[in-house]
Amino acid sequence: MTDTNDIVDRIAMGLSAALFTLGIVVLGIVETLAGKPFGAAPLTNDAGEVIATPMIDPTIRTGLVIAGLLVLALWGLYKVATPLVEETTTQREMTAD
Amino acid sequence: MSTQAANPLATEFELELDKPLTAYWLAIVRVLTGWWFFHAGITKIIENGLNFSYGPAYMQQMTGTALGPIPVWMGNNLGWLIAPGVPLFETLIGLALIAGALTRLAALGGVFFMVLFWVGNAGFGHGLVNSDLMGLLLFMTVLVLGAGRYYGLDAIIEKTKLVEQNPKLRYILG
Repeated sequence: MTDTNDIVDRIAMGLSAALFTLGIVVLGIVETLAGKPFGAAPLTNDAGEVIATPMIDPTIRTGLVIAGLLVLALWGLYKVATPLVEETTTQREMTAD
Repeated sequence: MSTQAANPLATEFELELDKPLTAYWLAIVRVLTGWWFFHAGITKIIENGLNFSYGPAYMQQMTGTALGPIPVWMGNNLGWLIAPGVPLFETLIGLALIAGALTRLAALGGVFFMVLFWVGNAGFGHGLVNSDLMGLLLFMTVLVLGAGRYYGLDAIIEKTKLVEQNPKLRYILG
């Protein structure tokens, strides 16, 4: 049971961390290297005309982050549904004197 | 706070997780995040009562987001819940975090709100990391660390017989 929990815990933490990092940091670096706009929204001039659009659709990047949150939500549901791992306590013998 | 020239990391300023500084700061983060939501909710109630009609309209315009058709569907079909629910739940989430009671459950609600605000406001002019995402991270931090245990009511609630007999309640307390 503990081994299964360990594996599920590791997958949940690893996958969600990968999704968060990919959506925010890795694709953020790609977006920055691709030039203007360095943010994730279209760049407009004073007349309101779009002069540069993001290379990566922010919908994809926000979707990756939301997928990471969903992984954590499913992990939470799994933890609620499975029995708690009993804490092991070791008793030390006490001498009378 | 003092520093030693030989070892700048060896200071009196303790950063270990079980030390008072961490407990103090988690309580501060929890209370201020709670006040943020409480203020947002209670001012809506003062102005419009439990009829925040902008809520359903806001969700109806959330087209083309990573959440797909879900927000638009919610705006079209759950207006009866959203109009009173936004001010009510913002207020309750805020109160829960300030008091540190049912902290994880309240923080989960805060995460739900902030995902919608982050995607719906789409203020990505300076990148995806904006104040909405920071709010989301604050709620996640409170949730993951169980910040209600630090100077909050959950520290008392978790010691009750009800929780001792049903330890899974800690998933919504803490």
